[in-house]
Amino acid sequence: MALIPSLIFITGGVRSGKSRFAEKMAIELAHKTGGRLTFLATGVPSDPEMKDRITKHKLDRESSNASWRTLEKTVQIGEMAEVIDHQDIVLMDCVTTLLNNELFQTNQEWTENFLTNVKDQIVSGILTIKKQARTVIVVSNEVLHEPFSENKLVLAYVRVLGAIHQMFVRASDQAFLVEAGIPIMMKGDQS
Amino acid sequence: MHFVTGGAFNGKRKWVKKLYQVHEACCWISAYENHPFPASINDRDRDFLVLEGIELWLKQILQTEDVNNYRDFFRNRIHHWLEWEMEKPSRKLVIIGTDISKGIVPLEKENRLWRDITGWVYQDLAAKAERVDVIWYGINQIMKGQTLQ
Repeated sequence: MALIPSLIFITGGVRSGKSRFAEKMAIELAHKTGGRLTFLATGVPSDPEMKDRITKHKLDRESSNASWRTLEKTVQIGEMAEVIDHQDIVLMDCVTTLLNNELFQTNQEWTENFLTNVKDQIVSGILTIKKQARTVIVVSNEVLHEPFSENKLVLAYVRVLGAIHQMFVRASDQAFLVEAGIPIMMKGDQS
Repeated sequence: MHFVTGGAFNGKRKWVKKLYQVHEACCWISAYENHPFPASINDRDRDFLVLEGIELWLKQILQTEDVNNYRDFFRNRIHHWLEWEMEKPSRKLVIIGTDISKGIVPLEKENRLWRDITGWVYQDLAAKAERVDVIWYGINQIMKGQTLQ
């Protein structure tokens, strides 16, 4: 039997098809292992647009013929490890939402300490879940290919996000960049 | 000359340090550390140099240099760097530039121009470099040339 990857990291631009690819991958892994599909929902339905987006993603998952268990957690994602076991193929979509939640849940000042804590909260949280689960698939956004020199807050945000992405790629067994619906394998064995 | 590019905070510096087994202290000239643009590198007492943050220097130079001469000005710099490298077989120059080309069109004219010029200069750098890598969160893709080390 082929080795089942323990951590898969997927990024792509807006509407690149990264979520669809991630879901497809999760479903295939669940078939292969007889595992349970678990979706980690991180979005806060804070306004009508966000509500619509969440509903759309939900309907997409429901119409895919696969049955998903949905767990909702907007911050301190690692606490979800308690309800996850070796059966679970966990899909977490996406890192930027989680980062936004952690950064903006309080009115805390963005000190180095705070930013480091947020980064660790997210990365070690996911890695804790990975230890429990069969596979964790982490989805994030490609947003680092434009100039950022002007705004300090934006600069802090992208610095943390870049660091998180690097840590996930390093910890992953497979990493993919999705361009226009086509996944490019950046890390892992081609097979 | 080795040109290394990729998005911001993708681990370009770390990757270069690992590949060449060096530390910043050895040889880093960096726009991110507010070092001025090294118009000449002949006075550097090193055989291995890294010029980092090309896009930021381009923005600074854009404020002084006439736009029409801009690309020629930079091609001359590249020519000078290559000459420096060829003087000794042990010499090596690594250029790091962040890819700023994939966001939405900037509102301000000067930022549009900056983005255009950065893209053109990167094309010139890639054309002259013997090796080009794109770094994606610490992973390199060789776009040109071969693994040397």
